[in-house]
Amino acid sequence: MTIIHNRPLDDIAETAPTIAGNAFTRAFSGGSLWRLIGMLVLILILGFLTIYPLAMLLYGSLHSTPPGMAGEFNLNGYRSIMTTQNLIVLANTIGISLAKTIPSLTIAVFLAWIVARTDTPFRGTLEVLITLPFFIPPILTAMAWGMLANPQVGVINMVWRWATGATDPLVNIYSYGGVIWHMCQYSIPFLFLFMVDAFRAMDPSLEESSRMCGASRWTTFRKITLLLMLPVLTSSFMLSFIKGIETFESALFFGLPAGIKVITTDIYESINHRATPDYQYATSLSFAIMGLMFLLVIWQWWMLRGKSFQTVTGKGFRPSVMELGPWRWVTFAFCVLFFFITVVLPIGQLMLGSFFRFFGFYTYDMLTLEHYRAVFANSEFWRAVRNTMVLGLLGATATMALGAIVAYISVRTRWRGRNLVDSMAWLPWMMPGMVLGVGFLWAFAMLPGPIPIYGTIWALLLAYIALGTPVSVRVMTGAYHQLSYDLEECSRVHGASWFQTMWRIMVALAWPAFAVGWVLTFFGIMRELSASILLYSVGSETLAVVLMKLWANGNAEQVSVIGLMMMLLVIVFRWVQLSFIKSRISKL
Amino acid sequence: MASVTLENVSRMYGAVTAVDNVNLKIKSGEFVTLLGPSGCGKTTTLRMVAGLEKNTGGRIAIGDNVVSDSEKGYFVPSERRRLGMVFQSYAIWPHMTVFDNVAYPLRIRRRPDKEINDRVMNALRLVEMEQYAERPSPALSGGQQQRVAIARALVFEPEVLLLDEPLSNLDARLRTQMGDDFRALQQRLKITALYVTHDQAEAMALSDRVVVMHGGKILQVGAPEEIYRRPENRQVAAFFGTPNLLNATVKDCRPNGGQYYKLSVEGQGWSGDCHAATEMPKGADVTVMVRPENLHVRDAGQVNGDLSWAGEVSQAIFRGSHRSIMVKTPAQTLHVEASSLSHVDIGRPVTVAAPVEAAWAVRN
Repeated sequence: MTIIHNRPLDDIAETAPTIAGNAFTRAFSGGSLWRLIGMLVLILILGFLTIYPLAMLLYGSLHSTPPGMAGEFNLNGYRSIMTTQNLIVLANTIGISLAKTIPSLTIAVFLAWIVARTDTPFRGTLEVLITLPFFIPPILTAMAWGMLANPQVGVINMVWRWATGATDPLVNIYSYGGVIWHMCQYSIPFLFLFMVDAFRAMDPSLEESSRMCGASRWTTFRKITLLLMLPVLTSSFMLSFIKGIETFESALFFGLPAGIKVITTDIYESINHRATPDYQYATSLSFAIMGLMFLLVIWQWWMLRGKSFQTVTGKGFRPSVMELGPWRWVTFAFCVLFFFITVVLPIGQLMLGSFFRFFGFYTYDMLTLEHYRAVFANSEFWRAVRNTMVLGLLGATATMALGAIVAYISVRTRWRGRNLVDSMAWLPWMMPGMVLGVGFLWAFAMLPGPIPIYGTIWALLLAYIALGTPVSVRVMTGAYHQLSYDLEECSRVHGASWFQTMWRIMVALAWPAFAVGWVLTFFGIMRELSASILLYSVGSETLAVVLMKLWANGNAEQVSVIGLMMMLLVIVFRWVQLSFIKSRISKL
Repeated sequence: MASVTLENVSRMYGAVTAVDNVNLKIKSGEFVTLLGPSGCGKTTTLRMVAGLEKNTGGRIAIGDNVVSDSEKGYFVPSERRRLGMVFQSYAIWPHMTVFDNVAYPLRIRRRPDKEINDRVMNALRLVEMEQYAERPSPALSGGQQQRVAIARALVFEPEVLLLDEPLSNLDARLRTQMGDDFRALQQRLKITALYVTHDQAEAMALSDRVVVMHGGKILQVGAPEEIYRRPENRQVAAFFGTPNLLNATVKDCRPNGGQYYKLSVEGQGWSGDCHAATEMPKGADVTVMVRPENLHVRDAGQVNGDLSWAGEVSQAIFRGSHRSIMVKTPAQTLHVEASSLSHVDIGRPVTVAAPVEAAWAVRN
């Protein structure tokens, strides 16, 4: 095909234009030098946070002595984890995780359906109440349930004995059932949060057209709703399963006393509970579990490849709401019951525990405020409060800033190296807190002398940033995806530089997501136990660590006091988040 | 207001050529439209002028200043090109009020508050949006957003105004009205405008000149009427509406006294006269284009045009403003747009006729 230009000369400039601008604009018109420096700094930071501890984990697993001591390289670590006993540990880990994922997912789907697709009364309030347990540090509920369902002096068993005259306890939290029960309490609201928007955003016309084709309500639910939800359900299942393997608190509190070991508690035990800590064993085991996580994550990708998550079409429709008639009070009661069991009962137990002289002896003459006095007079407690607050504020801010930058580079630019940055930031996703803690133990110990991070509060801060980065990147990625490129380009065309555009448009539009992510990260830091317990030292304890120590000393009463105050903090923060941030977002 | 010059401008994406050696000069105050199907490179061309894409070949100048020269590796970023742009999505920043949106280019340039206030209100008055200044921008309708986008693009008196399908998100009635309003504004302010669209009607109604693009190349540049009535080749002819394109052979060619040549052509079962831009040798194969609205249906045997075809009516569709009639002739089925009042019976033998001015021949 040839195209003839009959009059091209009219359309070409008669006079050659002159080159405008100065040397500076010419040299930096691409901005490539500064970009290069910035990328290098970013890669160095991320490398220190993720690659370096990972490499040290491998190094440590092959090294015969604890961090910082001379030793030789051998495979003894890997040899020592290849035991029959560890096969049981592995089976326990996987079995418990599966056993908690299936009921959690079922209940979470049911709850999501109730909140998003039925006319159950007070759905908005119920949603807030149902998701609250996600924000409560699991260590608090673990301690509360340890007191509630203690086979000897637990309130539940005492009430049971009093009511039936039986001598055997009704429930024993120190069992497989106890571990799973506790994991579910955290898992269900997590899965609910993950799925509820997918339920809400589903296009009702897809279901309506099925009804028009003659399918019944139930057939429609089975053949359309559930299948449309399948990608979300699959990814929820995988996520919950992976999180289950990483869980530390439930197995620590309820598994270890009953002799039930999982991988995370085994790592913890080999460092903290043996006469001489076996670092090589712990490190080899950490590396092995990371291999397992890696396989799981690959499997997750493979399962979800090419599956569309596009049930959200962005159109402002209201989902069709099913009218339940009198049954709506049943669904209402179910939600209230869930809230009662997961929030009211533990808080009630903590209150009960905090006001009586001895845990388990609940009589009028035992009422006291001495535990409150003791806690408030305890300088270690105040130091832990300060540490937790400093770590939370600094950590959440740094994590979100890092996440915002990484997400921007990987989503909105075509810079060289953006995929590398993205993968590096994602790496901690497959490192459980315990494993990253071990990795950082080695990493800090191997640093040259003049950089004294080990044993300071900064060690915890760096670990928290590494642990939080994958989530912060995800939150910010989602936020950037919703902002059209036009908004940015339009600003550039109308005279704003790159930095002005960043500040006035991107930051101004993405900050609600930043704030939401910030609060999430803050909660994450407040409840973090597994990495903290390995990396803290005297002076840098967090609240969770202080709680652990008091619990280990059998001081359940002071644990209750501190726990109650942390609960209060969580509820206040959550309230602020909901009322302040939500109102700002809806303004946009 | 400034002119815009594109010299041998190209844009490659890997091995794919999105824009191929485009040459174009837009005069100061002129309204030029890039027209073509999606993927023809028109938006890429606009974005290269805006500085949102780098051209991989050639150079671009705005006024007397080169803004991008790929050989010299010279590139002025968007924000220093002094342009106004209206995006397809309008790109109204949702976190600002109407006033803040329009004031943005001035605030970026650190103008005094008094001046910002005056110029923003002037710009809003121009698009009749001054009473909405304090509205939060998400509370605007599509048409209002579009007006705000235009006010924002005009507020700092840019060198050139760029528009990327600004009307495509509006409904049909509003689209026509906004288009007419915008054309009037452009004429009044004498703005140099580069406009991208895939809508032929829009392009013809708004532009001083239309640039027809296809496959990254310019097919033809010219005034709307010129392009519509006297396309340079079959592709451009086929791009506007649904013309009848008939294969024919040249019998005779002579100057008609004006700019054009008058041809005598013969097709399968028909012959007659038509016009062409260039001289063509006898025996050359040509395509004769006749637009449906210029054809007339007459009773069989009645010939009073320069071109005529005998055939019978195969289909008649009432379309409101006109009636589409299909006439089957030995050469091919002809599409005729007749008055909606006219009435024809299917199967009736008829003669289709066209005046010589309505028939235009291009080389195959």
